[in-house]
Amino acid sequence: MKITVDTNLCEVHGDCVVVAPDFFDIGEDDEVVQVLDAEPGEEHRATVVQAAKMCPVAAIRIEG
Amino acid sequence: MTTTTAPEIKIFDYDTYAEGDPTTFGLPLEQYRHLRDEEPCYLQEFDDPMLIDRAWVVSRNEDIWEVDRNTELYAADRGYVNIWQVVPIDPKNGGMPAMLTTDGERHRAQRQVLAKGFTPGFVRKLEGKFRQYAKDVVDDALEKGTFNFVHTIAHNMPMEALGDVLGVPQEDRAKFFGWVDKFAAPFDTRITASFDEVMEAIGNLMVYSEELAELKRANPADDVMSRLVASGEGGDPLMSPEEIMGNVALLASGAAESTRTAMSHGMHELMRNPEAMAWVRERKDNIPNTLIQEMVRIASPFTHLVRTATRDHELHGKQVKEGDIVAMLFAAGNFDERAFDRPEVFQPDRIENPHVSFGRGPHKCLGQHVASLEMKILFEELFQRTSSIEPAGPISYVRDAYSRGVYELPVTITPA
Repeated sequence: MKITVDTNLCEVHGDCVVVAPDFFDIGEDDEVVQVLDAEPGEEHRATVVQAAKMCPVAAIRIEG
Repeated sequence: MTTTTAPEIKIFDYDTYAEGDPTTFGLPLEQYRHLRDEEPCYLQEFDDPMLIDRAWVVSRNEDIWEVDRNTELYAADRGYVNIWQVVPIDPKNGGMPAMLTTDGERHRAQRQVLAKGFTPGFVRKLEGKFRQYAKDVVDDALEKGTFNFVHTIAHNMPMEALGDVLGVPQEDRAKFFGWVDKFAAPFDTRITASFDEVMEAIGNLMVYSEELAELKRANPADDVMSRLVASGEGGDPLMSPEEIMGNVALLASGAAESTRTAMSHGMHELMRNPEAMAWVRERKDNIPNTLIQEMVRIASPFTHLVRTATRDHELHGKQVKEGDIVAMLFAAGNFDERAFDRPEVFQPDRIENPHVSFGRGPHKCLGQHVASLEMKILFEELFQRTSSIEPAGPISYVRDAYSRGVYELPVTITPA
């Protein structure tokens, strides 16, 4: 499972950070969201998929 | 043979909400159910010079997600925000441009300027200030003992938070909050005597936003107003003077009334549900986000917003034409059994909660993390310092079909 973020779409809404703070973060000077762990273990699939679903601009993709 | 009678649809009547049933969250849940089940794309026609002429109403949770996210088919920049004819941030009808009435690249540009002042990380820095406001509010409430929750508890904190986030100097806050209060409920004469008062308040706010812009240009600070007036890399201002005015009006109208509304409906539900009240009390040192989101769901602080169809298309068998207005009835989408387990039940530990109170697309509420934090801190402070919170009279609602304000929620609290 691999997380990618389309940085042309991200508007730092922060929904993914609320759902999955272990995998996404927005620091003070970040223009777009930072992926903390782009290849999480399978046990985190539900959380990561939920984060992708919640993104208001559909910027998060989960592959694999 | 049994026949069921369709309820009369009065989802946009002021009195439907003013006289709402407190056992159904003050909402016309039967009408909403009928629309979702039988007329998921319902044509509402209006006959009121203050309102738009007609709108297609979508009421299912999934459809609201789709309309809110598909900005290519459902545009926000072709006029109108809600069912009102005149809105101060509608540039197609005499107002100023703001994020909510802009799409595409220009929307993204404005949103990126502002969003950094509203991320979960940035918002956490406000926690200390918010705790102090919460302490002051609860001090005052404890001294009173019995009071209107809406005024004594739910009003002050969102106003001060708005002041902090925007960067309104302390000495200007009283007048600033006065204007914001006026346009929170433009059609309830107990709050705003006439629509002229609303227009006057908006005018004052716009003039003041220019003063505040000047102040922040001279003395930039770590606040949203400073971001609004900042210059880009080329030295040009990021936003036009009109966009600054529009966005100040947008932030002010989005921030204060809605948070107050969510807190008040939420408190009312806790008092109706002793088990939920006990559940919260057990968690008073770290109130879970599930409670806050459930309050936001059942409150549905703004019943709806509208978009404009950008081309002819069919929706649930209806022919929607280019230029037609499509209303997202958030309050109905928040009680859709297709999306929620037992939606009519207030569940503070609800995990799956795809509510649409903040919206779900690119225009999603900018202040959602601020509002959620305010609510968490205020309820923590209130529960930590009381042993009981009891109703002291019936709830009553603001007379409005857009903003779902609580007019009065009498409560009695006992110190811990």
